[in-house]
Amino acid sequence: MKGDALLALGRDVLASAGEAEVELYLRVAERGCARFATGELGQHMQLSEPQAVVRVARGTRVAETVTSRLEREALVEAVRATGRAAALVPEVEAFPGFTRGDEPAGASPVRHAEATAKATPEERVERLAPVLRAVRDAGLVSAGMLETAAVAHALVTTGGCARSHDATTASFRVWALETPGAGGAAGYGGHAHRDVGELRLAEETERAIRVCRMSREPLSLEAGSYDVVLEPEAVTELLEWLAAIAFAAPEVEQETSPVAGRLGERITGEAIDLTEDPLCDDPALGFGAPFDREGTWRRRVPLVERGVARAVLYDRTYAARMGAASTGSAQLPAPGSAGGVGATALMLGGGTASSVDELVGGVERGLYVCRLHYVNGLLEPRRAVMTGLTRDGCFLVERGKVTRAVGNMRFTDSLLEGLARVDGMTRARKAVPTGWSDAGAFVSPAVRVRGWRFNGRSQEAPRG
Amino acid sequence: MLDAALHSALAWLRKQPDVRYAEVRLVDEGSERLRLRDGRPEQVTVEASRGVGIRVLGSKTWGFACSADTSEGALLAAAARAVAIARASSGVAHRPVVFPEQPASRGTYETPLAVDPFTISTESKLSALDGPVRALREGDPRLRSAEAWMDWTRQKKRLLTTEGTDVAQTFTFGACGMHVFASSSEGLSQRRSYPTWQGGDGFQAGWERVGLLDLAGNVDRVKDEALALLTAPPCPAGTRTVLLESSQVALQIHESCGHPTELDRALGTEISLAGGSFMQPDMLGKLRYGSSLVTLVADATAPGGNGTFGWDDEGVPAGKRALVEQGLFVDYLSSRETAAALGRASTGTMRAEAWNRTPIIRMVNVSLEPGSAGTLEDLVASTDDGLLVATDKSWSIDDLRLNFQFSCEIAWEIRHGKRTRILRDPFYTGITPRFWGSCDAICDARDWRLWGVTTCGKGDPMQLMHVGHGASPARFRDVAVGSAS
Repeated sequence: MKGDALLALGRDVLASAGEAEVELYLRVAERGCARFATGELGQHMQLSEPQAVVRVARGTRVAETVTSRLEREALVEAVRATGRAAALVPEVEAFPGFTRGDEPAGASPVRHAEATAKATPEERVERLAPVLRAVRDAGLVSAGMLETAAVAHALVTTGGCARSHDATTASFRVWALETPGAGGAAGYGGHAHRDVGELRLAEETERAIRVCRMSREPLSLEAGSYDVVLEPEAVTELLEWLAAIAFAAPEVEQETSPVAGRLGERITGEAIDLTEDPLCDDPALGFGAPFDREGTWRRRVPLVERGVARAVLYDRTYAARMGAASTGSAQLPAPGSAGGVGATALMLGGGTASSVDELVGGVERGLYVCRLHYVNGLLEPRRAVMTGLTRDGCFLVERGKVTRAVGNMRFTDSLLEGLARVDGMTRARKAVPTGWSDAGAFVSPAVRVRGWRFNGRSQEAPRG
Repeated sequence: MLDAALHSALAWLRKQPDVRYAEVRLVDEGSERLRLRDGRPEQVTVEASRGVGIRVLGSKTWGFACSADTSEGALLAAAARAVAIARASSGVAHRPVVFPEQPASRGTYETPLAVDPFTISTESKLSALDGPVRALREGDPRLRSAEAWMDWTRQKKRLLTTEGTDVAQTFTFGACGMHVFASSSEGLSQRRSYPTWQGGDGFQAGWERVGLLDLAGNVDRVKDEALALLTAPPCPAGTRTVLLESSQVALQIHESCGHPTELDRALGTEISLAGGSFMQPDMLGKLRYGSSLVTLVADATAPGGNGTFGWDDEGVPAGKRALVEQGLFVDYLSSRETAAALGRASTGTMRAEAWNRTPIIRMVNVSLEPGSAGTLEDLVASTDDGLLVATDKSWSIDDLRLNFQFSCEIAWEIRHGKRTRILRDPFYTGITPRFWGSCDAICDARDWRLWGVTTCGKGDPMQLMHVGHGASPARFRDVAVGSAS
């Protein structure tokens, strides 16, 4: 089902339900997920994800229903039941009502590629076959996933707001591994694009194989502070957590955010520009719908400019409560998440380095890190202290050159303090798929950080 | 109608010459999610989800498709898509999946309830949260923000397989808790939670569980500890004896025993989310995982457990078995396919988050058997110098589940058998078998409690699952500790 059909359905439901104040968000995702591991395509799935989010207000009392049933009669009943519930719940302080038809909207960006939307299981297998073969021919074990997804969105309110959009995302992740599941050398490659035909499958597979080969016979390095060059995949793991703890109005109001009470102050280094840029028109960087779950048109929000905290992300209610305007940052509920407020397209500004090698060239003795694993940013959110480990490629850099593999290391450091020690970033940036964003990707360059603190290392797996 | 549609899809699948096995799984789920923050509703949501997932084993490999439309036509179409996917994928398969037969299962399972939470009004539920959440902020302006929450889920699941399995299960899951954030003028923010961190407070029971929690009766202690943390010193770095309270032992089990004993991880089929496992098949019966006090069991039959059921999503009956016996690694959480790779029988742990996800190996209730060290207070009294660490705040572990680091909300220093000063932002870190090998005391059954993790993430795309962990407080020697401050 396409966005315009969802919009028509939404209008019909609102006209029939008889409730005065309703917001109805309809979303249908059709995903083809070809997941492979141990060199075999073991989980190939067609996943349907229909979702309707109904909110009904009675004055400032608001109730919500989330349902997978998008039949017209089921939605009409969901609206009516939500209305009955709304009458019984407490008032929402400063609830501003639902989005009205006269609120501004921009031109809808084209983010739909028919080739992705129409990709069949046979096509996914055909595209993956050379990937599996290349890794196998290299004497390594492959794992990863090729996904083709089409997502239709529509939002309609009784205040006259009506929006729809169609987007596609194709994403590819590949590992080349020395062993299937017991550790050892590993390399990773990944890419996302709205058009499956534009995915760099061969190039990223080759990268995974190359990194895996480089990762053999790792050195066990002592904990301590090291200059590091982080690939975009590693940086975005950190940005995911920064987005979760720092820039959303609820965390700022709660005073758990490092930005709380510090807007206008320097919170990190001058090299850092961090922007929520959901309307980015670069086809390799921009994904998702141009409006949020409340129908507010998304906009570019500079969150950090030259290291200074500039802005916070709001939905309509938090904006009203905190004397601001919505930034179009209301998020859909998802399994395990109430939705709330958050970034969907966080982008770290690039620097001037022409390549990762140039960044590495500026390190006397340090580490080149391809990816991070299991980062957690809840240690001390006010300072954005995070911990995590390297994964799928960690290398010693000596006198400006990558010299040998290093076993995985654990870091614990403040991201904001670390970013204050950034003295180099690549000009080129990469969209890295993330499950933390409605849109599906955050964007980052490769980054050089001085004195990143490592407090431990993984050990070789014990034998029986 | 629905029953006929399910059987019709199954009958069609049985007729496909290259379908060796198929399952048709109906999931009909309803939830209520309530959250109050600082006296106002942050979430009042009712959720409903219904659909059918169809998994097919073709001549060589698997296909999965699903449908929210449960009409006969839609289910036949979904079955055809699953078969088409399995056929398409067979072109790159090198060896056919080995999938041992399983005797047909029949029957029903239902969560035992004293009071059905879906018979309690939303107003009553909100009222149970409103008093505590308001009280949490009273009396001191540094008590900056408080939240209380309550989630209820009823999941009805029907599984039909080509082997003749026909089981119907009805689960009632709940979760309830509260926390408060205290802030100081120096920019510190400290959280204190009850009964544990949000997401670790799940259970399979009815409304009666909320009364047993006694949120109101714990408000003053939670507030006092949150305020005390604002002026407490950071946990000094060093090597210490560490006592973990019960819910922290539960999370330690989850990350460092539950996940690495998942056989799909060990065999390498979960790489694309979270990695492999240091617990490899050639170590079965040989790997010294922990001290001789450490026995960890996977028990899908534990009453009230978040990971309790009648049958898994492959029709294998729930069971109880040791994963680690007196410190020795002896078994895995497995599926029919993965267990066959080791010449073993499935331990019955395949579950899917929803109708539109394929089953994968999930923890059940993976629990530490109680020891003989008395109660927590007895354990403190028998410790000359150490730290008592409580309530998880952050969690991280490497891709083989060896190097872990957890930070917690609070620690108490123990001197000469007594709790002394409070320390803030404690973390402890270690290597899994070395850490469990240092366990020298486990409290007895009086302080054993079955905790429930509500959002265990695994799979790709990510699936969240209800799992359980029972634990008593336990003591570990020579643990590296520090502070995030």
